[in-house]
Amino acid sequence: MLTSSQAICSYDYRRRIVVPDRLCRGTHDHYLRPAQRLLNLYRHGAGRIRQELHQRVESILESTGDCPPRRIAAFCKLLDDAGVFHHDARAARKLRTAFFTLGASLHPIVIQQESVFETRLGDARRRAEQTLGMTWEEIENKLFSDVIEMQRLKQFELQLDASSLLSLYNLAQAQATLYRATHIRVIARRDFKTILRHAKLARLMHSIERHEDHDGVYYQFDFDGAASTLRETWRYGVRFAAMLAKLVACRDWTLQAYIHGPKSQRFLFELSAADRLRSPLAPPDDYDSTLEQQIEGAWRANPVEGWTLERESELLHVNQSVLTPDFVLVRAVDRRKFFVEVVGFWTPEYFQEKSRRLRLWTQPTPQNPDPLRFILIVPETSLKRHSLAELGLQLPVLPVGKTLDPHAMIRLAMTIP
Amino acid sequence: MQLDFHDGTLRLRGVTAKFVERACANLPLVSDPRDDCYRCDAMEYSRVCRCLDRHLGQPWDNLVPQVTQVHLHPKASRNLRDDQRQAIAAFWNAAGRGIIVMPTGTGKTVVAIEIMLQAQTSTLVVVPVRDLMYQWHARILATWGVDAGLIGDGVHRVSPISVTTYESATIHMPRIGNRFQLVIFDEVHHLAGSWRSDAARMCAAPMRLGLTATLPADPQHVSTLEQLLGSIVYQQSITEAAGRSLAPYKIRRIAVAMDPAQQERYRRLGQVVQHFVRGRQEVDPRFRWDEIYKLTARTTSEPGVAAAATTALRAFRMKKRLEERAAGKFAVLEKLLREHAADRVLVFVGSNAMARDLSLRFFAPCLLSHCGKRERADLLDGFADGRYKVLIANQVLDEGVDLPEVKVAIVLGGMASSRQAVQRLGRILRRSASGQQAILYEIVTDKSGEVARSRARRRHDAFQKPARRDLPDADQ
Repeated sequence: MLTSSQAICSYDYRRRIVVPDRLCRGTHDHYLRPAQRLLNLYRHGAGRIRQELHQRVESILESTGDCPPRRIAAFCKLLDDAGVFHHDARAARKLRTAFFTLGASLHPIVIQQESVFETRLGDARRRAEQTLGMTWEEIENKLFSDVIEMQRLKQFELQLDASSLLSLYNLAQAQATLYRATHIRVIARRDFKTILRHAKLARLMHSIERHEDHDGVYYQFDFDGAASTLRETWRYGVRFAAMLAKLVACRDWTLQAYIHGPKSQRFLFELSAADRLRSPLAPPDDYDSTLEQQIEGAWRANPVEGWTLERESELLHVNQSVLTPDFVLVRAVDRRKFFVEVVGFWTPEYFQEKSRRLRLWTQPTPQNPDPLRFILIVPETSLKRHSLAELGLQLPVLPVGKTLDPHAMIRLAMTIP
Repeated sequence: MQLDFHDGTLRLRGVTAKFVERACANLPLVSDPRDDCYRCDAMEYSRVCRCLDRHLGQPWDNLVPQVTQVHLHPKASRNLRDDQRQAIAAFWNAAGRGIIVMPTGTGKTVVAIEIMLQAQTSTLVVVPVRDLMYQWHARILATWGVDAGLIGDGVHRVSPISVTTYESATIHMPRIGNRFQLVIFDEVHHLAGSWRSDAARMCAAPMRLGLTATLPADPQHVSTLEQLLGSIVYQQSITEAAGRSLAPYKIRRIAVAMDPAQQERYRRLGQVVQHFVRGRQEVDPRFRWDEIYKLTARTTSEPGVAAAATTALRAFRMKKRLEERAAGKFAVLEKLLREHAADRVLVFVGSNAMARDLSLRFFAPCLLSHCGKRERADLLDGFADGRYKVLIANQVLDEGVDLPEVKVAIVLGGMASSRQAVQRLGRILRRSASGQQAILYEIVTDKSGEVARSRARRRHDAFQKPARRDLPDADQ
């Protein structure tokens, strides 16, 4: 990700919106050739020092005629991040110690010697060459070779074309705009589970609302952090930015971010899947496990009349705990729902967490006197090795072998009052 | 009823809205429906506890403190000066909350160490730079034999006595803010910004101390610090301390000229900047230079403005480079190093590149951010024990880091702010047994922005009074 000093966005004070810098097809086609030159520069730049590479980046981008300094700095950062730089800190430190120890014995080092207690600069350099066993030019090159701007490029592994580099830049600027965000709202029609999982990974707090319109069910997620209730704070901005990289890889979403702008004014930043930002991260997997895929495949091949099987269509949430049941069985006649959870892994941590979360919706509480109807689907192979008693829950279980009979699932669901 | 620490806040559960309204009206508790609780900043911990103890009338679960008892036994006897004793007494009289303002070199660290000893509790020390973090670590080890935890510079080792940087404290306080009973913010003026102040807001420590030599100039910032830590309980100015607890000092300003070619280039670059600024001020009379970045980015909406702004920005940067690297500066530095060949000399510069160039020219070590812990310690020890006569630094040594018995400092660049200037002056003001006078040389490029900045600094009393006393020495 970029630093704030590399971020570019424009604030529209009239409409109270903020727009991050973006290099677009058409308007910025003249960046494609320089972008390719930048990639070539780094791909063939092994051995060059970072400072020199940055100077070259600057001169390449200046050829576009409209590249502001921050955009240049941003490209430098993105390219640097994909490179590996050589820095032998120990060797440089050793050289410096020897050099400065020698210098201390020659102090003061002057251009014109006025007393015997002084050392002429030329003599001092000769002594350094003799003592350190290298030429003055080598000393100059190596003395600070571990300093960031003096480090040499070792390799560059970014497998991108010019257009993808510009996409990477666009995403990075959108992320940087979120550094000053105090709160974000995501409306999603798909990939809820991935969105929430990545919000959790980014240690964000959420509020969730379920809505329905003519296109179906959608969820509104409001993300911020613990201190957000107390004051307007952008301390979670970097977390929003980290989450954005994955959100961009999801489908069918819109984002609204509230940005703390200049003079403490509030601006809106809007983005959606339709904006077609590209993420270097992979899109969400279609299935968490092959078993889920098998279950859906079996249902499609042999559906049960009067019932529908929906995949990850509901989010259950209590305060900051969320569960996305793998499937929801819906009986058409009365719209009654039976939640289906696949229990595939058997690590103690997985069990503990699964048990804690299932308990929230399957045990009666003062707030929720009517527990939800759940059934568990468990591979037979796992049941041979482990006992479901480890879960500590009294839920109907359907063991599954190589094939699954959807009717068996319905029969089990019907045992629940 | 349960109170716990959550991500730098306090979470109160199991109380009714009526109770909060009635009993906690003076607390900034906010209802948080996201988590079915009431919430406030962790820094309110003492007040919340007092309130619950007073009004609840039944035991409650306090899950906040995760502290470990510590026992600190000093290895040697402590001799405190009267002013240090007064500062400590003032802190405890304010219930262990407050800010102590003492000039650099008057022993703020000694005051903090004594407070830690008297508190005998888990303590987090927060400092601005990693050098100071290691220095505090070494000081704690030398004083009590305790290997304090370190949080920062790639290390995350939390112990009952720990030292961290402001940056790391701001990032990690949501997770460690309930593990200390006493928090000490050294060079507390770094805390006033809205991002960094979270380091104090998210810390539940009931005892809170701020130390500084230079309070922020903005009264709003001072007020923020007082909200976070408590009021200013003790204050001593640099002029009060000079000659008493600080060394007497003088400041010499030396103006150096650019060579004619540099001067001409500087003039032309200045014209580019002025032309641009005047043009913008015609469009918007409130235009300020720091808005330049926004203008450079208007490549789509106002390509002409963006191009002119980019040109002006480049000219401005080039101007600064010329100011910093005026041909005469190297010659004057050589003259001063020759004059003070027997003294330890600290050289302050304005950029890392200049520091490296001087280092190569004078074969003198430079202490910059690239130096690792071992190298920094070696350079500082070598400078302290006289192995190195000259030490070059950019901002690393501006404040906090102890440099005993340095009586000569030469400033070649930086010092844009009065605070930085006073802090740099403070580096050379530790009073020695010999009572030797300290000298700060300020080398400025003539006919440049550096002269104006130097004039502005003279408005600070630390720079005015000695200059008046030693007027013949100052090249005005």
